Amino acid sequence: MKHFRYTSFICAAVLLLLSSVTQAQEKFFRAIGTPHQPKVEASWNRYNTYDGIVDLMQQIADAYPKLTRLESIGKSVENRDIYMLTVSDFNTGNPDEKPAMYIDGNIHSNEIQGAEFSLYTAWYLTEMFNELDFINQLLKDKTFYIVPTINPDARDNYMKEPNTPHSPRSGMLVLDNDGDGKAGEDGYDDLNEDNHITYMIRKSPTGQYIKDPQDNRRLIQVAEEEQGEYEMLGFEGIDRDGDGNVNEDGIGYYDPNRDWGWKWQPDYVQRGAYKYPFSLPETRAVADFVLKHPNIAGAQSYHNYGGMILRGPGAEEDKDTYNREDVRIYDAIAKKGEEMIPGYRYLTVYKDLYSVFGGELDWFYGGRGIYTYTNELMVSYLYFHKNEGRANQEEELKVDKYLTFGDAFVDWKEYDHPQYGKIEIGGFKKNFSRAHPGFLLEQDAHRNMAFTIYHAYQTPKLNILDVSEKSLGNGLKEITATIYNERLMPTHSSQDLKFNIERPDLISISNANVVAGMVVEDEDFNKVNEQVENPETLRVSNIPGMETVKVRWIVSGGRNYKIEVDSAKGGKATWK
Amino acid sequence: MKQLIPFLLLILAQYTALAQADYPKLNEISKRLQALDKDSKASLTTLTTTVGGEEVYALKLGTGDLDQKPAIAIVGGVEGYHVLGVELALQISERIIKNHSEILETTTFYVFPNMAPDAYVQYHSKLKYNRRGNSADIDHDRDGKLNEDPYEDLNKDGFITQIRIESPLGTYMAHPDDARLMIEADTSSANAKRYMLYSEGIDNDKDGKYNEDLLEGVAFNKSLTYQFPAFEPLAGDYAVSQKESRALLDYLFQQWNIYAFVSFGPANNLSSPLKYNAQQAKKRIVASPLEQDVAINKMVSDLYNESISQKAFMQDNQGSDGDFFQWAYFHFGRLSFSTPGWWVPEAKKDSTSTSPLEETKASNFLKWAKQENLNDVFLEWQQVNHPDFENKTVEVGGVKPFVMENPPFSKVDSIAIEHTDFILKLAKNQPKLEFHNLKVEQLKGNLKRVTVDLLNNANLPTHSQLGERSRWLQKIRIELNTSKENILAGNKIELVSKMDAYETKSFSWIVKENGKLTLKAGAPHSGFAEIIINL
Repeated sequence: MKHFRYTSFICAAVLLLLSSVTQAQEKFFRAIGTPHQPKVEASWNRYNTYDGIVDLMQQIADAYPKLTRLESIGKSVENRDIYMLTVSDFNTGNPDEKPAMYIDGNIHSNEIQGAEFSLYTAWYLTEMFNELDFINQLLKDKTFYIVPTINPDARDNYMKEPNTPHSPRSGMLVLDNDGDGKAGEDGYDDLNEDNHITYMIRKSPTGQYIKDPQDNRRLIQVAEEEQGEYEMLGFEGIDRDGDGNVNEDGIGYYDPNRDWGWKWQPDYVQRGAYKYPFSLPETRAVADFVLKHPNIAGAQSYHNYGGMILRGPGAEEDKDTYNREDVRIYDAIAKKGEEMIPGYRYLTVYKDLYSVFGGELDWFYGGRGIYTYTNELMVSYLYFHKNEGRANQEEELKVDKYLTFGDAFVDWKEYDHPQYGKIEIGGFKKNFSRAHPGFLLEQDAHRNMAFTIYHAYQTPKLNILDVSEKSLGNGLKEITATIYNERLMPTHSSQDLKFNIERPDLISISNANVVAGMVVEDEDFNKVNEQVENPETLRVSNIPGMETVKVRWIVSGGRNYKIEVDSAKGGKATWK
Repeated sequence: MKQLIPFLLLILAQYTALAQADYPKLNEISKRLQALDKDSKASLTTLTTTVGGEEVYALKLGTGDLDQKPAIAIVGGVEGYHVLGVELALQISERIIKNHSEILETTTFYVFPNMAPDAYVQYHSKLKYNRRGNSADIDHDRDGKLNEDPYEDLNKDGFITQIRIESPLGTYMAHPDDARLMIEADTSSANAKRYMLYSEGIDNDKDGKYNEDLLEGVAFNKSLTYQFPAFEPLAGDYAVSQKESRALLDYLFQQWNIYAFVSFGPANNLSSPLKYNAQQAKKRIVASPLEQDVAINKMVSDLYNESISQKAFMQDNQGSDGDFFQWAYFHFGRLSFSTPGWWVPEAKKDSTSTSPLEETKASNFLKWAKQENLNDVFLEWQQVNHPDFENKTVEVGGVKPFVMENPPFSKVDSIAIEHTDFILKLAKNQPKLEFHNLKVEQLKGNLKRVTVDLLNNANLPTHSQLGERSRWLQKIRIELNTSKENILAGNKIELVSKMDAYETKSFSWIVKENGKLTLKAGAPHSGFAEIIINL
């Protein structure tokens, strides 16, 4: 009886416990594709300041110490740390020796969502590592180097100080933009103190515009022969230095994405260039890191906007740098990307966008031989699944009427301007148009991440497929090893091969007396290339994607020999 | 003790005299710079310390508000083996301070005496050779191994020259006029003894190449941004990758007042000016000096040839990829001049020569050296054992390092005097802004109309044609110091992008004000003009 009572008590307790657990579980039902009960709670429908980014990175690093490494790769102009989160399975091999994918965002300070997309990637990979076999294997094979913002100073300025959707874009150095010997003497002025720099308009008999009677937020141009009511005066500001110009010399201006060391050109050729390649501390920090990490085989930089997956060349003068073999690989990955991210098109910078020297993607590829894309995030296709193009005012007004209910627009309001007199101030807010509205952010982050995962997956994966032996008599034998690269990318891009950017792949045999070593060019007809010096370690210039390389040694003795492959961008493989 | 002092002084004097018998060592350069620094018109700073631990100096010569006066930058040690350039930069500084300090009232000088100190060291080290690179570890042949195939002094004579190997496979033979010299064999010399020719060393990494991955790093004069030779030996992974080049450029980008550069290095656009190529000049990546700038180059070249007694000979280097002097023009927008300071003069024709061969730089040099009785310029071929060529006749020899690029030290003083003279002449041509014809007209109601002419009273324009495009040169700013409300017509601030030589521009204002106004015009690199207007 006693025993019975005790048992029933335990049963009741267990039932109680179970029911409380089930109750907690029943609050949510798993959605496919998203970490269900993440260790790190994060919202993907809002933006993070620099402090918010660092906090989230710290939380991820604390929650997953075996999957991450948090480090500062350098300091910004205003002395902020530029943080990188390295994501890989640290229990399987040295992450700095695995084929790696580098991802950064926000090089242009106003192009903010690249930071969130990068953070989402780090969060998703760590949270899904124990959930999905694919992600688990991916982090065993590969490393992700993720730097959410490489322009932390001006990101915070964009968010915390009055700005347009397009400013600052540069970093926080202040240069003399009008050549008058004074730097930054006449920037924007937030006249109505709403933390957005919007437009100034003024009633004028010679004005060419009227307010749309159907929608008074909108200014429409009248026909040539008709009298309008308003004239446009540009972004909010006053002439501070008395030179007759408004807003002609603010923060910057220079462009961190014109500061990279491949075919760099000065400002008069390439507007926005600073002093010389990597003359900005932020870009230098990235370059120093990349130079020390030859395992980086793929790279992605996030910009906004327009829905593009861009590859180089940035300038027509650099056309010959991108040759056919490499373009084939660029095409294969990016065309898959177009399917994965609806509304995004795969384009070439110099042909389809504009000409640019000294851009990040050109240095990554031209200077380091790394397959690199720039995605222009946010496309108006996401609003109504129509292709209305960038900054289509009509569409944007519709969005704000039916989807965001007035959240995106500052209504026109009168203001007494010290130089223009009575004006009106209003227009779209800085965080509309280029930046995703919150409800579109997570989906686009996931899709872009999926594209970078596909890109990372296609970095080389080397496998010693087969080792065969043939006796030659006299105690000699011939050992032939076949090394297979299971992925699309070669261990050396053709740009890399052209300039010997990275060392050759090393295929070596140990525990055997090597008489001769050779690379087999054609096994069927025994065409070989002997390496006379140090034949134990054969130096192979490249292991192409989806192809094999054969090497051969003639050895005497050697039963327990071991074969190893060591490639800077292809990782390591062993056969025993 | 008292008796000892004169004795010590005597030793010191002898030591100084000895020190002046040859190009200075780095510590002697530092001493001379520190001595200059004691003068109130000079100030010495260290820009950075190289990977090799050597200091890179900047010496500023000037008086008063010297960063607001038009300035000339003088650059030496552009190439490590060009030791003359360092001495010239030093002597010109010393001569300006001692003998020509009046020039500092109108012109400031920024002197960078030695941009390649790591490589310069090789001139005085136990092993001497023409060195270009600094002390960074660089994989010049990009095979994944650093500095693995340097020179070796096979005959232990302290110099790196050449090796020649007797071989039917060789493509070189002895020069018919001077058997010491190796020249490329041609079809007419079928019977001549043939040699293979390499720089002095062994093939350490057994890749069939000799000394292709030297024990030196990046060459300053091959690592700047204009036509940067990516992935070539001595250039570095990207342009301006080294501490000394970065430190110099960072400094220069803050010196808005520099209008011209004079570099001492292998390039020469002073003996004869650069040529204009319309097609190359019109390209987006400008690849020819612009037309008006070529005209300036011609004018300055004439000044140079007036000052310098040596006549140009075989001066065919007018720029090389990634070099400094082209950077200063094409990427920094300043007038940029370069000269080696000295070159091997044309030797007198040898009447006994029967050779139809054209004179090479080396054959001309050996002839000239003989005529000058310079005996110590060639290291005779000397047989050595070479591990890569067992059972073959291998000899080491050749023209000594440095002697073809640097004159005997005894000639340097006169070269320095002439070049100081040239630089002073260049300074006298600098832009000079002046106000003329100031007029104040009284209008009704106490309004005044002010008119004035601004003249650039100089042979040089305020901006090179290319410099006009550069954001790193300020525009000429004309500013009337009164509030905007008091100006009824005319601009408070006006920016002018360029004033040509002797160009005049007129300005006028209507103001409602009494008393004195100041009108100021200029930019740091053109200097400023100022005038008081009494209303």
